[in-house]
Amino acid sequence: MDILELFNYKFFNHAVLTILLTAITTGIIGTYIVSRRIVFISGGITHASFGGIGVAYFLGFNPILGAAMFSVLSAVGIEFFSSSKTVREDAVIGILWSLGMAIGIIFMALTPGYTPNLMSFLFGNILTVSSTDILINLGLASVVVVFFTLFYRTVQFIAFDKDYALTHNVPVKLFNCILLCLVALTIVMSIRVAGIILIISLLTLPPTTANLFFKQFSSIAIVSVIIGVIGGFTGLLGAYYFDIPSGASIIFTLVIIFGVSKIYKYITHKK
Amino acid sequence: MSNKVLDINNVTTGYENKVILENVNLTVSDNDYIGIIGPNGGGKTTLLKLILGIIKPFSGSVNLFNNGDHKRSLVGYLPQENKFDKQFPISVRDVVLSGLMSDIGIFSRYKKTDKNKADALLQRVGMEGFAKSSIGELSGGQQQKVFLCRAIISQPHLLILDEPNTYVDNKFEGELYDIIKELNKEMAILLVSHDVGTISKHVKSIACVNRKLHYHPSNHITEKQLAEYQCPLQIITHGDIPHTVLKHH
Repeated sequence: MDILELFNYKFFNHAVLTILLTAITTGIIGTYIVSRRIVFISGGITHASFGGIGVAYFLGFNPILGAAMFSVLSAVGIEFFSSSKTVREDAVIGILWSLGMAIGIIFMALTPGYTPNLMSFLFGNILTVSSTDILINLGLASVVVVFFTLFYRTVQFIAFDKDYALTHNVPVKLFNCILLCLVALTIVMSIRVAGIILIISLLTLPPTTANLFFKQFSSIAIVSVIIGVIGGFTGLLGAYYFDIPSGASIIFTLVIIFGVSKIYKYITHKK
Repeated sequence: MSNKVLDINNVTTGYENKVILENVNLTVSDNDYIGIIGPNGGGKTTLLKLILGIIKPFSGSVNLFNNGDHKRSLVGYLPQENKFDKQFPISVRDVVLSGLMSDIGIFSRYKKTDKNKADALLQRVGMEGFAKSSIGELSGGQQQKVFLCRAIISQPHLLILDEPNTYVDNKFEGELYDIIKELNKEMAILLVSHDVGTISKHVKSIACVNRKLHYHPSNHITEKQLAEYQCPLQIITHGDIPHTVLKHH
């Protein structure tokens, strides 16, 4: 089938829009995650959100809403525990990580009758995206873009040197909390694309690739969005032609882009 | 005629009811160059945090002067340890501009004049041509110069330097003290150090901080005076032949 013919299908159009919007959000938020080295925190938030999906199924409300609640709560929890310094931050993350998965699987087992498609939450299934999902994605992408445009310098300076920002009476805690919540929501809205297990790569691969060639936060973020779009579309087509899961296909494409960039950088650097 | 830039009036402060500084008085005028010495844990860092407004006095008052204005940007600050991530994607010029954070506010937008100011400062410390480099590509001494530019871009009346020679080599240390001496023509300097010998070569007066603050209006200080000030420090004197006077043992 011709690529253009695919656009006759509603599910395909939805998938394309989702890839575009997710690339914008994950490109910007991913750049923040990678620059601030909070990949492990993001992993914790991701897996904690699975608990929300399980609870939502059990109680019969929208699983994405459940995931959003769990991920934001765990983000705030991590921020709270790491600033109180009574518990080791990495230990807290590790606990939330597996606790979320445990709660999720317990509640899914308790849910009577039809067991929801576990695999699509773990590995993503972009073809299940609804019109509501797209609207929420559009909203989140707008919030992220507006936030980073308005507060770009402040975000950059706090991320670069938090202690110095404190001497300038910048509301460091408030900013870190808002940003971690945006990270949490970005993760939740990417579950459809890459699934809980693959999201971390969706967030980290584009900025890591962009960082090979660009050294400024803003340029890394913009290039990450572009890489996300290219990787997303190519991955989606790959999934269609080879009949493989879309999430894995997108991640695999992003890895190939990273690998090729790394080799290119290595060769040109050698000369 | 000198103008007062800082007045610390009978301040007692510390953390969560633990008193670190007690009844501290210090007045700084715009041409002062004061070395702040004292043992570790004596309250040097607390004094800096007090001046920077990060901690508040339990009692007494801290006043910064600029014809009555009280703004954070009146104080420039070079931290002892820069706990920044070396690989963080930020350019040298942006680091310098971050010294304007509290002037511009959280919706920060920098004007062309701010960027020019940053570039002029970089040139002044011999770092022209590095404006677009990543901060992580520079050596420790070069980074320290960039952080010095960040501290003075807001044109402060008071510059606080916390152990500025900790991570730099001897060649750079000399260069740094030359720059500070130049800056002293425009602003008051507070130089924190645990090293009395190095400090007294450069400063005009000395303040000993060990729970109390004793102001010593010259840059020569003897072990006997330090004992009177209850400031237990090793003295390293300097002369034609540098030598170290060890404590009784």
